[in-house]
Amino acid sequence: MNTESTWRYTFLATLYSLMAIFIIGQLVRIQTNPEQVEHFLGQAKIYEADLRPIQPARGLLYDRWGRLLAGNITVYEVGVELAQVRNPHSIALTLNVVLGLDYAQVLDAASQEVSPEAVYVVLADYVSQEKIELLERYSTELENSTSRKKGEEPPSLQGLIYKPHLQRSYPEKRLASNVLGFVNREGLGYYGVEAKFNELIAGKTMEVWMPRDPNLALELPEIPVGASIILTIDRAIQAEIEAILDAAVEANGADSGTIVVANPQTGEILAMATTPRLDLNEYWQYAEVFKGSTPFNRAISQAYEPGSVYKVLTMAAALDAGAVTPETIFLDVGVIEVGGIYIYNWNSAAWGPQDMQGCLQHSLNVCLAWVATQLGTKNFYDYMRAFGIGRLTGVDLSGEVTGRLKIPGDTDWYEADLGTNSFGQGVAVTPLQMVMAVSAIANEGKLVAPRIVRSFIDKGNQYDTETRIVGMPIKPETARTLSEILARSLEEEASTALVEGYRVAGKTGTAEIPTPYGYSLSATNASFVGWGPMDDPRFLVYIWLEKPTSSPWGSVVAAPVFHDIVERLVVLMDIPPDDVRREILASH
Amino acid sequence: MERVRNLTQAYSQTPWRKQLKLIVLFLLCVVFIALIAGIYLDVTARAATIGREILIMRTEIEALELTNADLTSQLAVLNSATAMRPRALDLGFVPVEKDEIMYVVVLGYVPPQKPDLAPPPAPTRVIAASLPADYKQSLIDWFREQIIPTISDALEVSP
Repeated sequence: MNTESTWRYTFLATLYSLMAIFIIGQLVRIQTNPEQVEHFLGQAKIYEADLRPIQPARGLLYDRWGRLLAGNITVYEVGVELAQVRNPHSIALTLNVVLGLDYAQVLDAASQEVSPEAVYVVLADYVSQEKIELLERYSTELENSTSRKKGEEPPSLQGLIYKPHLQRSYPEKRLASNVLGFVNREGLGYYGVEAKFNELIAGKTMEVWMPRDPNLALELPEIPVGASIILTIDRAIQAEIEAILDAAVEANGADSGTIVVANPQTGEILAMATTPRLDLNEYWQYAEVFKGSTPFNRAISQAYEPGSVYKVLTMAAALDAGAVTPETIFLDVGVIEVGGIYIYNWNSAAWGPQDMQGCLQHSLNVCLAWVATQLGTKNFYDYMRAFGIGRLTGVDLSGEVTGRLKIPGDTDWYEADLGTNSFGQGVAVTPLQMVMAVSAIANEGKLVAPRIVRSFIDKGNQYDTETRIVGMPIKPETARTLSEILARSLEEEASTALVEGYRVAGKTGTAEIPTPYGYSLSATNASFVGWGPMDDPRFLVYIWLEKPTSSPWGSVVAAPVFHDIVERLVVLMDIPPDDVRREILASH
Repeated sequence: MERVRNLTQAYSQTPWRKQLKLIVLFLLCVVFIALIAGIYLDVTARAATIGREILIMRTEIEALELTNADLTSQLAVLNSATAMRPRALDLGFVPVEKDEIMYVVVLGYVPPQKPDLAPPPAPTRVIAASLPADYKQSLIDWFREQIIPTISDALEVSP
């Protein structure tokens, strides 16, 4: 090895050593300088992982047979990744045409310089799949287009990002809308089941630190979806009931209508229809549909004076307490004084001697007021409370109100209230409270809590709800006796509520409407409550038509609706006529 | 003793043997380090590839879940009461009236029961948290785990 070569090798070795020392020195300097350490750790943290909020899929709502009533669909958030934008003009123009966004606003947003504060900008959300497909097609066409002018940025949608997520969807639109409620874009449930079980259905939103290191990919947590609910509602019955209700409201020129169909033995609500109803997929129309103080679900949120359907409860209490018997004769002279006020019959006539069936059949206010006085004030109100009047039914729906039952001791209770309450005036109830109370008469005296949830499906398990008996306001014999009286009343009256082949019990109701200036003389609330088949009640129907104009009487406007409903119910619920049923039972 | 002397003599007469030995030793070290580095690279590359595949699969699962939700809702729309009724009427069906029904006793017939919509039991899944460390740790982690305790033990034992 000559001297020149040695010198060169020495020089190169020194140079590389110095470089190595410099690099090592830099490494040491960076790693020992607290400021630098913090800076680089911060930098590393930014690229280490993404903090991603994960909203689990909202649980589904089904009808009692597993048919979907509320599901989820995919929609997209549209935004721009500023660093990748090549032609903001193309993006603004396309989004203006496809999504109807403001051209100038999009152009401004997409033209921003990338900065730590501006990396990604959201331009639109809840964009449908069809619109995204259209945007993707445009994007491909623009990328493939060859017509470019020199010096001009070629048209491109590069930088446009579509992020999919779920949105609530209601396949049946308006059907059972008053029961389901709706979910807004923030994922919050309003009204009905959606509000009542919002936390359960929505699941728990979690923010997940998602590492970019593929070696840590397995560490991601599993986020459970929200619980699903099977309702007691039968979609077919609900659809029929809504159609019948709409027809009845229109035919009778009523302001609104409400129908509840329940199984009196289990408390399951098979259908609950009210007017108006909202297309839940367009919930933002809420203010247009529910004008003023119109409640979302009248069946639970609007208390009203029910009128003569309430006489069923008064008579049940009196029979149960032994204050009267079915054979008790009351001499109706057309007027009775209770607590200083005079009570008259609906036609202001005197009906002469009447037994208890006659009192109910002819819906005599005077007789029922007398029955209440025979029962006594304390007994009367004790029974009414036992029937659940003036209390929440506890149904699994959001927005239930208690109604109002004034009782002795209240500052606004007067002795005269006993008389008026006996025939359903001066007392405010919701249709569902009436359903619950009257169910006790159809159900051998057992008061069953109404329920709208049949099962919960959570974490892979299905939990079924049970029938809840919450009281026994009257004895089974009383319930049977009163049911028989009411069935005979309809038959002897040849009521339009009767259904050939099926024995049913029921009672009409016509109530005057209280106003700030006393009771209205021109408008009424027409109601009907009925159940059947008599020997094995499978359905109880409550009808309320508000301010019908065709006729003020419940017997004229509400009773035929009951008939129409039962004609459909027996088909949809596979209930054979009484004689066929007896024949089948006898042969087995 | 004679043998050692011969060996010393041989080395002193041919000094290049010493250099050769050093070079061979150095090359052996290089080959060993390269071997370890190669294994390490192979293992980490495979782990990274699998990790990336897992991330991609997770994205695919999310996409499939969205598609599934979409299809369920689309099916429900097609089967909805409002859609089915006109279709049935178009096909010539009419709502049955109660008087048109003939009830027949069918022995053994079971009426529709409460639907069971709970998902079937999921297969047993091994979640990441329960995986033994051996399946997750890198070669360096393994060395650290194996060597550091040994060194600390040795330090504790020696006075």
